[in-house]
Amino acid sequence: MRAFGAERLGELFRLLQARGAPVVGPTFREREGAITFDVLESVDALPRGLSDEQAPGHYRVVERGDTRFFGARPGPGSFRAWTLPAEERLYRAERRPDGKVGFAAIPPEREPSFLGLRACDLAALRIEERVLTGGTHPDPRYESRRSRRFVVGAQCTEAGALCFCTSMGTGPALTADSGADLVLTELADRFLVEAHTDEGRALLAQLPTEPASEADLRAAESGVAAARATMEARRPLDAAEMAALPERLFAALEHPHWDAIAARCLACGSCTAVCPTCFCEHRVEESDLEGRHSTRTRLADSCFTEKHGSLHGATVRPTRRDRYRQWLEHKFSTWHVQFGSSGCTGCGRCVAWCPVGIDVLEELRALTHEPAPSDAPQPAPTDLRPAPQLPPPSARHASHAKSAEPTPCSSAEARTAAEVPLVGEVMSVARETADVVTLRVRAPGLAACAPGQFNMLSLPALGECAISVAGVERERGLVEHSIRAVGATTRALTALRAGQELGVRGPFGRGWDLNQTARQRVFLIAGGIGLAPLRSAARELLTRGADRGELTVLYGARTPADVLYPEELRAWAAEPGVRVGLTVDRADQRWSGDVGVVTRLLRRETLDRDACFLLCGPEVMMRACIDVLKGAGVPDDQIQLSVERHMKCGEGHCGRCQFGPWLTCQDGPVFSLGEVRDLLGRRGL
Amino acid sequence: MADSAAPSAPRPRLGVIKLASCDGCQLTLLSLEDELLALASAVDIVHFPEASSRVAPEGPFDVLLIEGSVSTQEQRAFVAELRTQARTVVALGACATTGGLQALRNWADAGAFAGVVYADASILDSLPTATPLSEHIRVDVELHGCPVSKPQLLELLTALLTGRRPELEDESVCVECKRHGTVCVLVARGEPCLGAVTRAGCGALCPRYLRACFGCFGPREQPNVTSLAGVLERGGASTARLVTSLRKMTGWAPAFRTASDALAAAPSSGAAREQEKGGSR
Repeated sequence: MRAFGAERLGELFRLLQARGAPVVGPTFREREGAITFDVLESVDALPRGLSDEQAPGHYRVVERGDTRFFGARPGPGSFRAWTLPAEERLYRAERRPDGKVGFAAIPPEREPSFLGLRACDLAALRIEERVLTGGTHPDPRYESRRSRRFVVGAQCTEAGALCFCTSMGTGPALTADSGADLVLTELADRFLVEAHTDEGRALLAQLPTEPASEADLRAAESGVAAARATMEARRPLDAAEMAALPERLFAALEHPHWDAIAARCLACGSCTAVCPTCFCEHRVEESDLEGRHSTRTRLADSCFTEKHGSLHGATVRPTRRDRYRQWLEHKFSTWHVQFGSSGCTGCGRCVAWCPVGIDVLEELRALTHEPAPSDAPQPAPTDLRPAPQLPPPSARHASHAKSAEPTPCSSAEARTAAEVPLVGEVMSVARETADVVTLRVRAPGLAACAPGQFNMLSLPALGECAISVAGVERERGLVEHSIRAVGATTRALTALRAGQELGVRGPFGRGWDLNQTARQRVFLIAGGIGLAPLRSAARELLTRGADRGELTVLYGARTPADVLYPEELRAWAAEPGVRVGLTVDRADQRWSGDVGVVTRLLRRETLDRDACFLLCGPEVMMRACIDVLKGAGVPDDQIQLSVERHMKCGEGHCGRCQFGPWLTCQDGPVFSLGEVRDLLGRRGL
Repeated sequence: MADSAAPSAPRPRLGVIKLASCDGCQLTLLSLEDELLALASAVDIVHFPEASSRVAPEGPFDVLLIEGSVSTQEQRAFVAELRTQARTVVALGACATTGGLQALRNWADAGAFAGVVYADASILDSLPTATPLSEHIRVDVELHGCPVSKPQLLELLTALLTGRRPELEDESVCVECKRHGTVCVLVARGEPCLGAVTRAGCGALCPRYLRACFGCFGPREQPNVTSLAGVLERGGASTARLVTSLRKMTGWAPAFRTASDALAAAPSSGAAREQEKGGSR
């Protein structure tokens, strides 16, 4: 441990600047009345002698009465404005009048050096790194910024009024594995400094320092201990309660207290905007008036917006209760399943900057304890099923390993390709029905798609949407997508002609587990456009010849005119060991087949308990089929279903496709029934 | 205007119509300086009184931007006729989407005002209320704001021309405010800001200049006005002040209207007393 006088901080600052990147740290924005992060020109910009007064929904800057540089607690801003900017242009695109398209990545900006991050924020940085680079599709922009990251941490020797890092196990001490290159501990008029990385040691070697004295070390230690003691004395949930929190909170999905919070919550999104670990994003298309040139931009999003839960023009989380529940469950419970830790670091920002002062710890306490007995009428529970169980974090990765593996991006090129579309050429177009078209697309690099996975198809200036794989010809580099024209983008995609081009990203997600089905009897049960992803599964199974068991395809369409792939269905039915059952909701005069929902066909079948069932269609249809299958005693792990959520990015970074603990774009869209049984049909997920 | 794009298909016909309004939203269209020339060559601007001397609308219109609220008998008949001439009707700005500032008369006796202002009130054709376009005709797109924002107007026109769904913000002003890195004026300064219940799209203009949002883009979806009003009252804002803040440019929008009515009706509320004194209904 080394030490230097406070007057030398300027020298350290200049060494930081000499690394070539701007230095970002806390500063007092006098006009706005807050200490927040900004680019600093010199140490004079640090909030010397200032601190803050924080309470739920309240923040004021106050004089400390001393000359400390780092005497303020976390303010409204954080490093996130630079590591994951609130608005970032991803790529430019062009669509020429002849239908050819082109895409060009916009390089990310270099990240500044950070000065004065607290233990909570370093923990948040480590979480952010796991979220953006630890999944199947590491974010190339984030990786590029992170590759030259340099952080000077500042250890806390006081606790702010809203700090609770000890509850989250993230502070106040900055340990050697915190990720900081250098760690400062500010004493009355001196700094202790320790380097934790080679870059940190190299920089420190250039700074004149002296060995820390015994008194210095004791002062630092007692300061950190005092900060810890302050927080421990007021913690509302003890260590055992915190350890049990993820499971207990998930079990509280239908707790009446959510309604009490919703009465106060403004759903304004301020908590998510100040949280250093929130990462959800929205993506927008901007173009010129001709629609020839466009830019794809990501914007910081919030799970409190209506769009965040959008699905087919409606929203899966319509109420403030649904949205607050999504945020709190994600932060403290399902984050563990997705990313192996809590999403909270105890910085207290969400409490201070909530306009109505909702205190997360108080709410967690209320939600994980029995409601107080009350004479007031309690709202009726919205779901009477037993509380769902939170899967362990390993469940995600185990399920990935089991089946059609989401293609991990190993090379830098592949990573960029996941984010910037490749050019796909339309080889042929087949009109299936009045509103469904199948595109055969040649897109080298994408033919590794597996049945049940999906690609993101896009047209410059129009937009992008997730479309499942309806067929693959690997050796020819071709992939087929059946698209129903429902919105602007799908209308434009279905209007493409052979020879024209489109943007393609992928493949994404986990497809059908067809390994499970060797020699087993297989049922493919489809409703509407849901036949498309099952078609690729059927084709795959049919190539197995004698190695497969019996195959039964049960398919329900709206009307005879809406039946997809009629000729292919006839061809399948002619194969040995294959049966095809077809039903329509509304018949016409020429229809002599079944009328009614697909469950009617299913009820007629002899349902072997060791058969395998693959389901895809509207959720209500799948739930009805599941009821029939469970009634026949089919075990959960022999039922797979493709779940629909809004997949905006496909890479697991936008947060929109969350379904309970799962990120549908990575953990799904195909799930084993056991993984989602208690979530299906639950309101507000 | 020279047609450099030389399209074979006719250009979409754009009309701009004004009802009871201040012309500010039409001016937003004129102040799209950088894009106006490109726009003028992409569409055929067939009716735009703010920018030309022609008065009678010459439909049909592919896109018709209608500014202002419906405040007279004549306007009521006029918009019904316009609807038949337009493929896409856009309600342009706070007056057209919520009734606008002039909807304040919906809480008062408009006839009494007319008597004070005009020597002979019989020359007037005013309806007792000023109401949004959607109360009279089917509206395809609503563009909010007093005035509308340039980027949103441009996005809407671009989306209509290229055939994509316009990306118009419907989240709270807070989301937009924090994207800009602006410090919350309510939490850090105690300003009575309505941003948390107001629709974004303005670029969080007022908070960026240290002013409280006064809701000119109207209520967002899922607004919790009651909870915010409680916080603002505890912060020192009087009920009367809250009623006045909610009854501004978009006060007649249902969420703001019901909240201000509830506040005004609350017993012992200063606003209620003020309303009584004013002789409102």
